[in-house]
Amino acid sequence: MIQLEHVQKLFGGLRAVEDLDLTVPQGEIFGLLGHNGAGKSTAIGMMLGQVWPTRGEIRICGFDVTTQRQRALQKVGAIFETPVFYDYLSGWRNLEILSHYSAPTSRERIREVVDWVGLTGREKSLLKTYSHGMRARLAIAQALLPQPQLLILDEPSDGLDPEGIHEMRQTILRLHREMGLTILLSSHLLNEVEQLCTRIAVMNRGRKVFEGDLAAISQPQNWVTLRVNDFSAATKCLREAALIIDERDGKAIALAPNIATDEVVRCLVKHGISVFAITPHEQSLEEFYLSLMKSGAPSGPTPGSPAN
Amino acid sequence: MFLLQLRNELWKLFGKKRTYIGSAMFLLAQSILILFLKYGRGPSHGIARDMERNGFPVAHYLTNLTVACIALVPIAYFMLPLYASLVGGDLVAKEAEDGTLRMILSRPITRLRLLVLKWVAGVIFSFTLVVTLGLFGALFTGMFYPVTGGLFVVLPPEHIIGAFEGATAWERFIAVHVLMTAEACSMMSLAFMFSCFNVKPAAATILAISFFFISVIMNSLPYFQDWQEWFLVHHLYVWSNFFRDPVPWWKIGESLSILAGYNLTFFIIGAAVFQTRDIKS
Repeated sequence: MIQLEHVQKLFGGLRAVEDLDLTVPQGEIFGLLGHNGAGKSTAIGMMLGQVWPTRGEIRICGFDVTTQRQRALQKVGAIFETPVFYDYLSGWRNLEILSHYSAPTSRERIREVVDWVGLTGREKSLLKTYSHGMRARLAIAQALLPQPQLLILDEPSDGLDPEGIHEMRQTILRLHREMGLTILLSSHLLNEVEQLCTRIAVMNRGRKVFEGDLAAISQPQNWVTLRVNDFSAATKCLREAALIIDERDGKAIALAPNIATDEVVRCLVKHGISVFAITPHEQSLEEFYLSLMKSGAPSGPTPGSPAN
Repeated sequence: MFLLQLRNELWKLFGKKRTYIGSAMFLLAQSILILFLKYGRGPSHGIARDMERNGFPVAHYLTNLTVACIALVPIAYFMLPLYASLVGGDLVAKEAEDGTLRMILSRPITRLRLLVLKWVAGVIFSFTLVVTLGLFGALFTGMFYPVTGGLFVVLPPEHIIGAFEGATAWERFIAVHVLMTAEACSMMSLAFMFSCFNVKPAAATILAISFFFISVIMNSLPYFQDWQEWFLVHHLYVWSNFFRDPVPWWKIGESLSILAGYNLTFFIIGAAVFQTRDIKS
């Protein structure tokens, strides 16, 4: 659905995006992570033909955005952070205006989408009377009007309260489930990405530093959380038995290759150490993301395909 | 499809309170001028004196059309360029500033088509503004002055003194207003061009007004006499030719051609800049 190859964007001397390769297959919810200024919005701008790439090729729905923008965006919907509309017009009129830039849209189609997002009864009210949540729903409605196959969401939960964020998350899942849309979600809300996406790419200073499956990130690593009566004695005897290769924070141990937790427990009990708990340590997206930001490369065994 | 999109642009343009505040100020200025001409002892005596000095009977020529035209001159010379620039400067830059441009350009519409739509909407607005101005002028002055009689016009900058009777008076009055659209359009196009640059709407308007005043200054300096024919402002008041007798059609055609050239140039420059611009939040 989305394919970026060696994309570069320079703003004067500033490298906003550097040698970006990205592939988003059909039917996926793909997360684009990175903090402010990482180049996410510039990358999205280039996907939508709003920002001209300095170098590289961008294909959306099989069409080159630079040369065949109209065909590329025919079945694309987009939502940006803090959706902006014509406040002095009604929600309905805003939908009419925006949808007609894609193709003539029937009143029935608008009605159908207004119903779907739950704005029925308020569609004729002026936009200035809408809450943040209603604006977000209207933003979804305008994105859905051209019956898209691909949705590009740039920080869609920005400015929403916790309830609004939850609602947005549920809507994204509904869109994926009921309409089978491919979704590119740019966000710095790690929790949101963790709950929605199947695959992610992380950008830092214009470069992609990671791309891979989200499931692989949270897969148990060789680190184990250990609760015993004497942690230092435990690690000493485990090291002597060559069962661990590292320890940290007075509660975690890194198992040696091919060593399972039952062997660790047996060894500790044999040496008279009481074991209260031993649990595989799952790396959270936050931990993974922060380690990426620190080092510029993923920590520990890298799941999925490595970044360029 | 084009008409549907144009209708949408007009909804946006005419739906804004800002558009009407400007128009209201315009009509207010016209009303104040007319009321001053009616009740201000100095101005009303001045009009009568001018007529008598030129041998035109005051009772016949002091009509609603005459006073509407007197009030029209300062508005057409100064306020119309200013207001047309305000509207033209908003057309693209305001959408970019508000962020709605990014919403539009996530749609499969070409930038050129979007600009054509906006420019045509601007032309329609210019025409509506001028027609409203004329209609309001004729109706408002009709409340204080007789609607029958002649039309007496004095335009000192253009060295025009004219008098017209009955139907001809109305024809000239209407023709002047229709042709004034060219002035409003040209100023709108100038501001529209700047609006396509990566600037704030106010900056686009200021740039257009600055261009206008520089053009006025250069046009008034004798050193630029050989080049005057190419200055925008030299042709901007093409409408005043309808107060000449006989009507200099060739001069009107020449001015309209040059204004059309200016408009096209402004549009092409604006479109070229807009096409190469990056649209960011």
